Amino acid sequence: MAERTLDCLGEACPVPLVKTQKALEEMAVGDVLIVNIDHSCAMKNIPDWARSVGHGVEIEEVGEGEWDIIIQKMK
Amino acid sequence: MSNAIPVTRTRRKAQTPEERRRSKIIQISLGVVVSIVVLFFAYLAQQTNPAGAFIILVGTGFGYTLQRSRFCFTSSLRDPLLTGTTDLTKAVVIALTLASLVFMALNMQKFGMDLKQLEVEKALGNVLPIGLHTAIGGFLFGIGAVIAGGCASGTLMRMGEGYAQNWLAFVFFVFGSMLGTALLNLMKTSPIFWTGTAVFLPEVLGGWIPAVIVQFGALFGLYVAADYWGKKKAGAL
Amino acid sequence: MQNETEKKLSFWEAYFKKEWSYTAGGVMLVILAVSLVVVTGKAWGVTGPFAVWGGKLFELFGVSAESLNFWAEGIATYDFFKDIVSMTDLGIVLGALLAVLLAASFKIKKMKSWRQVVAAVLGGVLMGIGARLALGCNIGSLFSALPAFSLHGWAFLLFFFLGAAVGSQMLKRYFM
Repeated sequence: MAERTLDCLGEACPVPLVKTQKALEEMAVGDVLIVNIDHSCAMKNIPDWARSVGHGVEIEEVGEGEWDIIIQKMK
Repeated sequence: MSNAIPVTRTRRKAQTPEERRRSKIIQISLGVVVSIVVLFFAYLAQQTNPAGAFIILVGTGFGYTLQRSRFCFTSSLRDPLLTGTTDLTKAVVIALTLASLVFMALNMQKFGMDLKQLEVEKALGNVLPIGLHTAIGGFLFGIGAVIAGGCASGTLMRMGEGYAQNWLAFVFFVFGSMLGTALLNLMKTSPIFWTGTAVFLPEVLGGWIPAVIVQFGALFGLYVAADYWGKKKAGAL
Repeated sequence: MQNETEKKLSFWEAYFKKEWSYTAGGVMLVILAVSLVVVTGKAWGVTGPFAVWGGKLFELFGVSAESLNFWAEGIATYDFFKDIVSMTDLGIVLGALLAVLLAASFKIKKMKSWRQVVAAVLGGVLMGIGARLALGCNIGSLFSALPAFSLHGWAFLLFFFLGAAVGSQMLKRYFM
């Protein structure tokens, strides 16, 4: 099971979501993607999208206004 | 999902719980200071404007709501094609539908059901001229909002959140507005670009009933289309 | 790491931090916008006074209000506390700041690359021109216009959508 980190710090919407989608496409089922973000809209639209597609999602606020979105590819 | 996703990563410069607690206290205290600043502006506004305090507080409510719900008009029109997500699109359509109902009710209450009593200039909301300038303006605005990472309300909201990119966009938004004002003044001299006619749907369609059918039919159609598109893109259909 | 479904929210997290749903936000905006139009008689707008603010800057450098009027209409009679839109704009910035501070999520975010600078400059200018030509932005010519049964609100929606599609392609190609 591979683990990959995607640095989207300083990126505004929709860049983090587009990059997340692209990264997940290249990954295998069961792999984990950790997305680092500091754009408050991305902490909502990335998890919303990942859930709608059926992936496992967790959000962690690692500092003020900075989050890690942890996504496990499910299909 | 019942089990935590196992991760082995090293935590990136995360704050210690102690630092986190301290920054929380500082930020919430600053939040209280900002509330006082808002009340001060409300007081100032009330000195020159009888509705001043109310207006400042409603504006603050707009900002608070936009931030807490991450409401973004740009995203609602950009993401269906770019990322395939339509949650915000649907929320915008719901808001427009609700607002249509209220505006209609208020117009009817003010002018009665008879459209002849209604003066379009006095209808609630913005009923403004449509023409080639609307099309060009909307198109340029759409490009700009996507590139700059926020529309008008979104730019102001993110300025409050502390994004340098939106502060810079705002400065050039202001200069662009001056260019736009001048350009519109030039366009107003040409009948191709500027007709000066406002089109109020109940008036051109011959009554409230056909207008309601068109307005709410179109909104309903948009909602269904957005819902279908979102589900299709998520692989649920 | 806390698990989302099992995590219990504290009072503060529930009322000051947790994001609202998009729909809840939309409904709240309608309530606020309607109360504004009922009390003041004017619909919510955002970009109306922007040109005048720019004009005021030029005025500081000695350009006269009369010669600026072509670029910034109504500059001579402008008064911040008499202009509803100016006041709600200030409110939006303060309200958003208030929301992030109370959620303890405030951080000044610098730009990461020159691409973002170019994007902000170009996007800002385009929005400014577009909003004036369309007689309003996504608020004045959409949120306060389409529900008023004005056709220009529908036209703005359509062309905003087309512009956003072109903007997305530009974003992917040049700004990502």
